[in-house]
Amino acid sequence: MSDLDRQIEQLKRCEPLKESEVKALCLKAMEILVEESNVQRVDAPVTICGDIHGQFYDMKELFKVGGDCPKTNYLFLGDFVDRGFYSVETFLLLLALKVRYPDRITLIRGNHESRQITQVYGFYDECLRKYGSANVWRYCTDIFDYLSLSALIENKIFSVHGGLSPAISTLDQIRTIDRKQEVPHDGAMCDLLWSDPEDIVDGWGLSPRGAGFLFGGSVVTSFNHSNNIDYICRAHQLVMEGYKWMFNNQIVTVWSAPNYCYRCGNVAAILELDENLNKQFRVFDAAPQESRGTPAKKPAPDYFL
Amino acid sequence: MGGQEKSSSNSNSMQRVKVYQLNDEGKWDDHGTGHVTVDYLERSEDLGIFVFDEDNETLLLHRISSEDIYRKQEDSIISWRDPEYATELALSFQETSGCSYIWDHICNVQRNMHFSSLNNNTFHSVNSELRELPPVELSTLPLIHKTVYEGRVTDKMQLIDLILNDQEFLRKLMHLFRLCEDLENLSDLQMICRIVKGIILLNSPQIFEQIFGDELIMDIIGSLEYDPEVPHVQQHRNFLKEHVVFKEAIPIRDPLVLSKIHQTYRVGYLKDVVLARMLDDTIIANLNSIIHANNAIVVSLLKDDSTFIQELFARLKSAVTPSESKKNLVYFLHDFCSLSKSLQMVQQLRLFRDLVSEGIFDIIAEALQSDDNRLILTGTDIIILFMNQDPNLLRSCVVRPEGALLLGLLVKGMVTDFGDDMHCQFLEILRSLLDSYTLSGGQRDSVIEIFYEKHLGQLIDVIVASCPSVTSHLSRKEMGSGRVKNQQRTKPEILSNICELLCFCVLHHPYRIKCNFLLNNVADKVLLLMQRREKYLVVAAVRFFRTILSRHDEHIIGHIVRNNLLKPIVDAFMKNGDRYNLLNSAVLELLEYIRKENLKPLLKYIVDSFWDEFVKFEHLPCIQSFKVKYEQCLENGGARGTISVSDPRKRIDERALEKEEEDYFNEDSDEEDTASASASQSRKVQPQPVLSNGVSASHQSISPRTGGLVDYDDDEDDEDYRPPPRRQKDNPDDEEATMDSIRLKRKLVPKDKEPDINKRPRLNKNLKSKDSVFAALCSTLSQAVLPSKKSASIMHSSPQAGDGDENAHEQNHKDFTPTRGSSDSSSSDDETHKEKESTSPRSCSECVQSTSDNRQLGSEDSPLVQPKSSPEMAVNGS
Repeated sequence: MSDLDRQIEQLKRCEPLKESEVKALCLKAMEILVEESNVQRVDAPVTICGDIHGQFYDMKELFKVGGDCPKTNYLFLGDFVDRGFYSVETFLLLLALKVRYPDRITLIRGNHESRQITQVYGFYDECLRKYGSANVWRYCTDIFDYLSLSALIENKIFSVHGGLSPAISTLDQIRTIDRKQEVPHDGAMCDLLWSDPEDIVDGWGLSPRGAGFLFGGSVVTSFNHSNNIDYICRAHQLVMEGYKWMFNNQIVTVWSAPNYCYRCGNVAAILELDENLNKQFRVFDAAPQESRGTPAKKPAPDYFL
Repeated sequence: MGGQEKSSSNSNSMQRVKVYQLNDEGKWDDHGTGHVTVDYLERSEDLGIFVFDEDNETLLLHRISSEDIYRKQEDSIISWRDPEYATELALSFQETSGCSYIWDHICNVQRNMHFSSLNNNTFHSVNSELRELPPVELSTLPLIHKTVYEGRVTDKMQLIDLILNDQEFLRKLMHLFRLCEDLENLSDLQMICRIVKGIILLNSPQIFEQIFGDELIMDIIGSLEYDPEVPHVQQHRNFLKEHVVFKEAIPIRDPLVLSKIHQTYRVGYLKDVVLARMLDDTIIANLNSIIHANNAIVVSLLKDDSTFIQELFARLKSAVTPSESKKNLVYFLHDFCSLSKSLQMVQQLRLFRDLVSEGIFDIIAEALQSDDNRLILTGTDIIILFMNQDPNLLRSCVVRPEGALLLGLLVKGMVTDFGDDMHCQFLEILRSLLDSYTLSGGQRDSVIEIFYEKHLGQLIDVIVASCPSVTSHLSRKEMGSGRVKNQQRTKPEILSNICELLCFCVLHHPYRIKCNFLLNNVADKVLLLMQRREKYLVVAAVRFFRTILSRHDEHIIGHIVRNNLLKPIVDAFMKNGDRYNLLNSAVLELLEYIRKENLKPLLKYIVDSFWDEFVKFEHLPCIQSFKVKYEQCLENGGARGTISVSDPRKRIDERALEKEEEDYFNEDSDEEDTASASASQSRKVQPQPVLSNGVSASHQSISPRTGGLVDYDDDEDDEDYRPPPRRQKDNPDDEEATMDSIRLKRKLVPKDKEPDINKRPRLNKNLKSKDSVFAALCSTLSQAVLPSKKSASIMHSSPQAGDGDENAHEQNHKDFTPTRGSSDSSSSDDETHKEKESTSPRSCSECVQSTSDNRQLGSEDSPLVQPKSSPEMAVNGS
């Protein structure tokens, strides 16, 4: 069994890797991700997953429902970290799978894959607690910069974490972004990761999130038309039913963190596309309490103060 | 308590009871069998116990009393002394479940009676006669459990008061816990666990104070090991007692400090491990503030204990302290500094100053020279804490001669391979040392000075030494002598860090870096990274190049063109072929930038030199528009009027330049038209890469066609250039003055004079006298003209709000504007600037893109500011 396979097994038990292993893994991942495009092409069949947010045991449920990688081809739409208790294990498992099976799993960037956001919403603190230094956080956030921004499934389904940007009317315009940077506070790259579709908005509206835009049905219609795509698949917003169509089936939100933050009471969903792009949503619940280990947040075992 | 309202639906057998009454002889008389219910008494809000027999005759009617008269026996009998009957009554239940059901009812009714009577009392005068906590006994655990979990918000407040008033309650509960543990009574242990959880969920700081006290906390943690929701009994106490080590690097004598230290760790453990799953944000906030307050107490008690600090540093400095305990002392120091974040800002700053005067930086310098990576890591972490507090603490250390060692170590650390232990701490430290956006001046400039003088070269050398085809690629003269031979293999991540630091330098010290780049061919050397196999390094080099362009520096652009610096980038792009990856995107972004910013010399240079290759990519819209732009450029050479008239305004809008500047541009456009029209006549005729005597030859040999369209400074100079009188006089003076000051004292050069430092040698070397005046003007103009907003960063990691320096530029800009407007000069700088402002109509997307480029700058860049946080919280998703 190779080191990598052993690490994957270890991560599947929700045991974090050693710091040196994280570093090596990130370097390998960097070499793979640097070869990916801003609009990464993905072949069907593929299973699309939304936000995970460090809910490791719920992600294991996801794999139970959707099938294991590499048997199932996966596309994750970002927001792997923050909020949940196991951001480290969650992200590292996905990254290890990416390194092990680069063609069977695609990871694109969410707005939480960012230095700023992770310092507020938990990933930074979790790294500090689990490793005693911020190094693992540094490795991971460096890798975030390399993650692709979007994916295109069989030229027909555009997938992105947040949504559209007024700066982007054709997919080709995404090509000329040098994505290796912290998520900016505005501009095309920011919008792709932060925007939301909104019923009451006609055209573009200000986003209450403070970044990205709200966009209405007409924007989606013209985007889909000019890029010759069937629909947009995105994540980024909690939907209680796990998934939600909008604008006459032109855009769908997929949410894959059941009982978000361990208290929202929602179900989660993944979207399975077969080789003919036939859709099937699979809805699943949070992992039962028994299957969860104790929170692996053990602090360092020695202290001066 | 779910079944309370459904009593009628309960099965018969559950309700079946025999009613007994104690007779005078002390014997129980059987009063018959019936069904028991709890219901309202007639015409009353009081609840009573009813027993009806088969014929619906009332066997018993008892008003439930708030007094503690009820007793439950053997799980099936409830008895009490009835005030109305004046004797003992008892209900014997057929089923124990029925018994506990009615018992629950009674307790509940009693509690409600208590609360309503309590609420009638005056505010906060809790009357313990009316309401007290159930006695803490094994048999009352269910009642306590109910008391803790049931009831409304007001009940909870009451409960908190009661627990706080009853000094013994928690202690007894823990006593009971120990008892149950001895008896291995799992079900009661689980009950106690739930009770303790319930008490914690009350989220009362005063209760926390009690249960986290030394006396109770271990039992509290112990009781939480029996969580019925977790499949296995946990071993928290075992972990805390057996595995956790309290390391006393230096003996702490104050018992209060010791107690707080332990408490902090345990509360943290409760929060992060034991209770992680059940706590909500408000409880976590309360626990955090306990920890925070404890830290503050511990740090301030220790720092005020002068003997403690003295002893600490004495040991750290002593030659006889064994190295192992010295390490521990450094680790301790790190924790100490780290916890001081809990102090108030002023106090922390004072503490850090004290530590500096005790010599903490010497200690760190020593640590950095250790061969123990963890120790080095700790050293850097301490420095980062200091940098976050006030970078000048370290700056004022490293500018002193004795601090040179530390700065040297930091730079050395940057290029040292520490295996897996270090990431980019050194990069982070150097960045904040060299950050030009921090306000205070003197030491910062000195540090920058020293860095450029002594250390930048080291970093560049590492790049040069680690790139394979060095000798063949670089033009013969520029290479440092011996170092190339020694092709050490530097870890790619180190190279990537250097590259990042250089990008940072480009943005923060434009003039120094310009000097360095032109004199030492730094840019050329960094581009050696294009040869590296690791694609992320190749892309990093492209990004570095792109960062240089963001300075809009004429001389550097000229240098790029003359030395054909884009060649390696184009080669890499071509070699990458059709693959749509990060390299592809980065290069295309670079081209887009050149196009949008209308960097004419580059536009021409690129198309003229490389179009044969780029033509393969003409299907990409971005390449197409690049060519179109180039053609416009050529056309504009003949008839530029239309575009210049309309477009400056557009660009101005996008940049949100101020009104007066807009006005200026509008006024100016006519002049500009005339000037440029005349200038353009000569442009095509006379190819002459003026500024580069020696280099142009080699450049032309690489791409012969380039010459024609590159630098047209000279002919303009000849024909149209009428130097604005004031300017001509002032500038050389300025320069002289600056040069003098530099010669006298190579320190503390005012920021805006910097370009002169680097210009001087060039002028002497390359330019004829007339040119030199012109170049001086160009250079001054180029600083003055560049809108500072544009000139700032594309690097999002650049740390802080850029007030001071940026303002200085802005000031410059405004000062020079009138001069420029009034002169009819069409000097190349001015010209190019205009060109930058004038762009052909652009699509909406470009507007957004380019505004966004601009808006990212300056203060919005600070990673410490968290603009997203509040909106983020407001929205459900993500």
